[in-house]
Amino acid sequence: MHILLIEDDLESARLLVKGLSESGYHVDHAADGRDALARATAGQFDLIVSDRMLPHLDGLAIIELLRARGVGTPVLVLSALGAVDDRVRGLKAGGDDYLTKPFAFAELLARIEALLRRRPQAPRATRLQIEDLEFDLLARRVTRGGRELELTARELKLLEFLMRRAGQVVTRTMLLEGVWDLHFDPQSNLIDVHISRLRQAIDRGSDQPLIHTVRGSGYVLRSDA
Amino acid sequence: MRLDLFNTTAFRLSVGYTLLVTLAVSVTLGSAYLLTESLITDEVDLIIDTELKSLEEKFARSGLPGVTDEINLRIDSWGRIGAVYMLADSSFERISGNVTHWPFDGMPTEARPEFEIATIEPGRRAVHPVRAAVHTLPGGDLLLVGTDISQGRRFAEKFRLATLAGIGLSTLAAALAGFWFSYRLARRVGEVTRTCQRIMAGEPGRRLPVAGANDEFDALAVSVNRVLDRLEEQARTLRATFDSTAHDLRAPLHRLRTRMDALLRAPALAPAVHESIEAALREVDHLQRTLGTLLQIALAESGAALASPAAVDVGELAAELVELFEPVAAAHGLSLECAPARPAVVQGNRQLLAQLLTNLIENSLKYVPAGGRISVAVQARGAGVRLTVSDNGPGIDAADRARAAQPFVRFGGGGTQEGSGLGLSLVAAIARLHRGRIELQGNDPGLRVVVELPA
Repeated sequence: MHILLIEDDLESARLLVKGLSESGYHVDHAADGRDALARATAGQFDLIVSDRMLPHLDGLAIIELLRARGVGTPVLVLSALGAVDDRVRGLKAGGDDYLTKPFAFAELLARIEALLRRRPQAPRATRLQIEDLEFDLLARRVTRGGRELELTARELKLLEFLMRRAGQVVTRTMLLEGVWDLHFDPQSNLIDVHISRLRQAIDRGSDQPLIHTVRGSGYVLRSDA
Repeated sequence: MRLDLFNTTAFRLSVGYTLLVTLAVSVTLGSAYLLTESLITDEVDLIIDTELKSLEEKFARSGLPGVTDEINLRIDSWGRIGAVYMLADSSFERISGNVTHWPFDGMPTEARPEFEIATIEPGRRAVHPVRAAVHTLPGGDLLLVGTDISQGRRFAEKFRLATLAGIGLSTLAAALAGFWFSYRLARRVGEVTRTCQRIMAGEPGRRLPVAGANDEFDALAVSVNRVLDRLEEQARTLRATFDSTAHDLRAPLHRLRTRMDALLRAPALAPAVHESIEAALREVDHLQRTLGTLLQIALAESGAALASPAAVDVGELAAELVELFEPVAAAHGLSLECAPARPAVVQGNRQLLAQLLTNLIENSLKYVPAGGRISVAVQARGAGVRLTVSDNGPGIDAADRARAAQPFVRFGGGGTQEGSGLGLSLVAAIARLHRGRIELQGNDPGLRVVVELPA
């Protein structure tokens, strides 16, 4: 997978390139807006990770120009700005995800993975299945090994989010954003408590747990540990 | 806000001004009237006295017949206009003169008695007021000399009417001018007030109108506008400082975090080292969170308007957050409940309002001991939404409540509770961004935070 990292802070860029390379990505680095735009237009990248504030050309301007030129490469925007509407502006400009600095590397990795794996969902999909866990999306009914599970509306939403990303690490922040539409970090260990409830409902009494905790990152739903 | 003209200082001043004008005009014209009237009377009295004196002298020289002749002479030939004479004996019977009978009931008591005589003039009958003096001649006969004062009376009457009309008209003019002035004044002050309200309501670019009249109002407007320019400039500078601070502090924090993250991924790390790096990372995250909160508070306090507000159903949002926090509350041994949600919509930012609710709920979670209760209620009210989060925890002393929402203020003394001490400050700042306000109340026992948000 080929990633273009646009970041003017060379020290951060070096560390990120190193970390991403170690994680198996091929990373190109551009340090200013003009260079970034030229490369992004010319090269074949699977993903662009772009800082928001750049010399010469603002990160959002780059995205808008790329989109105007018909380049549809997914963009993850990194920003040190904290204002609430920055994220909205970033997404409006054509960004696909937004991450505020400083972030945990695991968070970045999880988001990159999510963006790279994102495919136009087959809109007709009416059921999701992992092992003997089945989710009937139309009837909003979940069964494990044929036995129907009693889940609240929110637990169903949480499970659907995890099942659609089966095999991917999903961070707590991604869950807060995706399931609750909350774009800030509450101090409480909210997600852990909700996941533990869901885990109780799904994995209890089964010798094959499906929800796994990934230390330092988040959770993953997959068939084997 | 509708301007109540009758309740303005300008109006009260113009009422006072009108009264003063009325008083001044009344005194001036009234005294002129009184003076003129007394001058007319004095002149009449002087003539009467002079004539009486000359007739007495005539009596002294040539006795009663002389006086009678003199009177007849004066009546017939060169007598002054409106002159009245009568010579009567001691039983008030007419001896001579141009009055047919004694006009008084016996001897008049006043020095200058007045009476009326009826005359037949060509074509009409007229009644004339007469002012007179009576003198007793040696020998007991009575001499009456008078003057027809109808002309003076008419003059005085006209003068009085003119005076009253003058007072009335000048009062009316003063009242009209006063009303006009106070209306204009109230309108211009009202413009200033309205503009200030709109600026407070989040239109910082608005300025007071300058009419171009070069008057003191324009001078005031220009000065106030200059102050507003300065404030806006300061707010802009402050915001630019926030942005660059955010950038300048977050960039090194980011590098620090990235380095530590890289370190954490190093192979074969001793568990103790791993643990302390993770602990340090948590500190970095805490630092970053505090910084972010401070910047958010500062941004709200700088008077920045809420960017792109949208309709947010606070009732629904509260229900969602209560549902989100309920398992955590249960894990703390607390009950968290929300009154059934009814639509309660405000124009605002969903994320900020969610953060406000989160902070309030987390605040209660932090302080309420196990077994306690936290309840969230949202009421749609005429002018907006009232959001209440109450608990039965230790609460905050009434004396401390006012400063509880100030940054870095913490209560409870124990110091065991985590947190930046910014939670309530951020709540207050978010409420202010939404043109609302928060109030901390006692819940007997516990704390009740009331957030009022205008629609």
